[in-house]
Amino acid sequence: MDFINRFIVDFAYFINTSDAYQRKKRFFYDILENDKYIYKKYFDIFMIILIFLSVAILIAEVKSNINTKIEFFNTYIISIIFFIEYMLRFWTSSNMSEVIIRANEHATMIGQKFYLYKALYKIIKEKLSFIFSVRAIIDLLAILPFFHELRLLRLFVLFRVFKLFRYTTSFQAFISVLSTKKFEFLILLMFASIVISVSSVLIYVMEANNPSSPINTLFEAFYWSIVTISTVGYGDITPVTSAGRVVAMFVITAGIAVLAFTTSIVVSALTEKLDEIKEIKTIENIRKLKRFYLICGYENVAQEVASQLQNSRLDIIVLDEDPKRIENAKRDGLVALNYDPGDANSYKKTGIDLNTQVKAVLCLRESDVENVYSTLTVRSINKEVNIISLLMDDANRKKLNFAGVNEILYPKGLVGMISRELIGKPVAFEVIHALRNEYYGVNVEEILIDNRINENIVYVNELDNAQFRVILLGIFKKSTNRFFFNPMDETLLESGDYLLVIGNSAFIKEFEKYLHKKIRR
Amino acid sequence: MKTKTALIFGYNDYALEIAKNIVNEYENINIFSLHSENDSLKNKSNFEIKSFDLSDRWDELNNDVDIENSIAFCVLEDSAENIFLTISLRSSFDDLDIIALSNNKETANKLKMAGANKVIPLVQTTAEMISEMLEKPIVKNVFHNILFESGELKIAQIKMNDHSSYIGKMISDIDWDKKYGVIPLAIVREDMSSEFIYSSKLKHDTITQDDIFIIVGYERDISEFEKLIGSRCDVNWRNWSW
Repeated sequence: MDFINRFIVDFAYFINTSDAYQRKKRFFYDILENDKYIYKKYFDIFMIILIFLSVAILIAEVKSNINTKIEFFNTYIISIIFFIEYMLRFWTSSNMSEVIIRANEHATMIGQKFYLYKALYKIIKEKLSFIFSVRAIIDLLAILPFFHELRLLRLFVLFRVFKLFRYTTSFQAFISVLSTKKFEFLILLMFASIVISVSSVLIYVMEANNPSSPINTLFEAFYWSIVTISTVGYGDITPVTSAGRVVAMFVITAGIAVLAFTTSIVVSALTEKLDEIKEIKTIENIRKLKRFYLICGYENVAQEVASQLQNSRLDIIVLDEDPKRIENAKRDGLVALNYDPGDANSYKKTGIDLNTQVKAVLCLRESDVENVYSTLTVRSINKEVNIISLLMDDANRKKLNFAGVNEILYPKGLVGMISRELIGKPVAFEVIHALRNEYYGVNVEEILIDNRINENIVYVNELDNAQFRVILLGIFKKSTNRFFFNPMDETLLESGDYLLVIGNSAFIKEFEKYLHKKIRR
Repeated sequence: MKTKTALIFGYNDYALEIAKNIVNEYENINIFSLHSENDSLKNKSNFEIKSFDLSDRWDELNNDVDIENSIAFCVLEDSAENIFLTISLRSSFDDLDIIALSNNKETANKLKMAGANKVIPLVQTTAEMISEMLEKPIVKNVFHNILFESGELKIAQIKMNDHSSYIGKMISDIDWDKKYGVIPLAIVREDMSSEFIYSSKLKHDTITQDDIFIIVGYERDISEFEKLIGSRCDVNWRNWSW
């Protein structure tokens, strides 16, 4: 017995430490259960298609004979795929080797003998809890049409429709919304059950002995009660005696109450949870984004920055702890989440990946305290991400630097510098201001020299910018990290350098296109 | 005796930053405060704080200040007060250059209507800088250095000499970048209207002796260029339009 114990524990260790095994298990877990896994949606779509095919075949089967190949596909192939899926879910639902290892280590630690049956008991308990979960039962029933010869089992195809819940998050959201009103639904159910059972018995007692009444059995009485209370009222069975009609009046009145109550429960659940549902959807969408700017705090400057960045290729996400400011951001057409940018949990909950998704964090609260706090939080999660912050009081500059801000913008200092320029060279200042803001169609742009351009254009004199009436102000050389104003004709261009050009926006675009198309003679 | 004075209205960080930056350009810097008693106590700067009232008629200024060569900065934090101050100054002094600070576009428009020659839209300018840092970091650095820092690269306003050989030549033929190492960006014409150097309007125009060029270049090249072609000049931007 000890030998078997030892063998199983060794095997559990082997499996638990096997990279290949864990990688495979992780892959199947991700594709089945992990919503953040990018390929899961393709698997979900594939399964949804199978379900619809299955239902379509079931409908087609009713009135016509379908091709045997299609029938084979429906009965066996789809069922086998569902079976494999069920087994994979069963496999990934819990970690058996982990349970054995933990039980063994626990026994060793407290100096007791390791009993395999205790670990097995725990494993069985975990697996059974999977088997008896509602979702797993639906999955299992969806496989049953495999036993095609039993005609009733064909109807289990409809269970495949229930499987849709698994693959669509909106269904899940809807169920979770309704589940918040469990108590109300329970009361409603009890009320309806009492009315149905009392009225069924009453109508049966009043009508069953009357030869002209269509209600002859308790089942018919029950059927009539449900049809009436639901306010459907087919009219195929109607009470004929006065007493029966009194019962009908009672049931009809109760029916209206039940309907009104149900509607109000669903509506109130939806209204209460609407914001939450929207937020879940927003977070899902944010997770799909590749690169964006993160604005922490939506006040005046943030509003203006967001409106200026609207033409940017990157998206903008706003985080703010104040619901009013978030409302403003949403009204301005931005993706905004009511989370505190100074709380590390906000980034976890929203799934924002500071490492790969965020190009820059903009701390734009008009309070240095808040900006320092947000900066420190971001820095505690990620050391690299570019942080730009507003500075409201020059005395706090060091604090922001210490917190880890990469670039600081001090509006008051800016006013001072602008004033100096305005009294010295006002027109020059205005010209540059106009260039920056693309007034009158004239713009200043950075053009990246990529490999493709560099293959055909090696020296500055090959740029032909004058042809496009574009001024080459200078080159930013990547190798030296320096800007060279008005470079000489024979200056070498290298991949990664930037050209700084001024000109009419349309001409700059044409010039850029030309650079990409030009072929060296 | 009347002096060339910078009049700064409002005692706050903006006023102190402005005073710090323009202190070398004016004989006098006067900071005016609406609550001078409090502010004088707190004042840690070297600038003297005077008091003013929004209902002032500014007779005193007329006696001491050379209004035509002076400048006023209206940087009160309350927008309504700032607008009232601007309109009050303009109604008293036609020739005073007034620069006002605004927090939003609406106030900026009102300040202009009230008679400010130039409005610094604070929020907008700050946002412009931030979006430029993100989208065009090289442009931001280069322009920031040209405008605000004491780097080698400068921007200058140059007026043609009367005897310059360029007078009468086509604007589109200018090749100063190769010859003198300076790049012209824009031109201010005789009627004080400005045009971008490559604008289609200027395509067939010639250079006249009243033209002022906005050029960028290294300090030494600009000085050299000045000797040969023209001289640095001020533009009275009260009449100037883009």
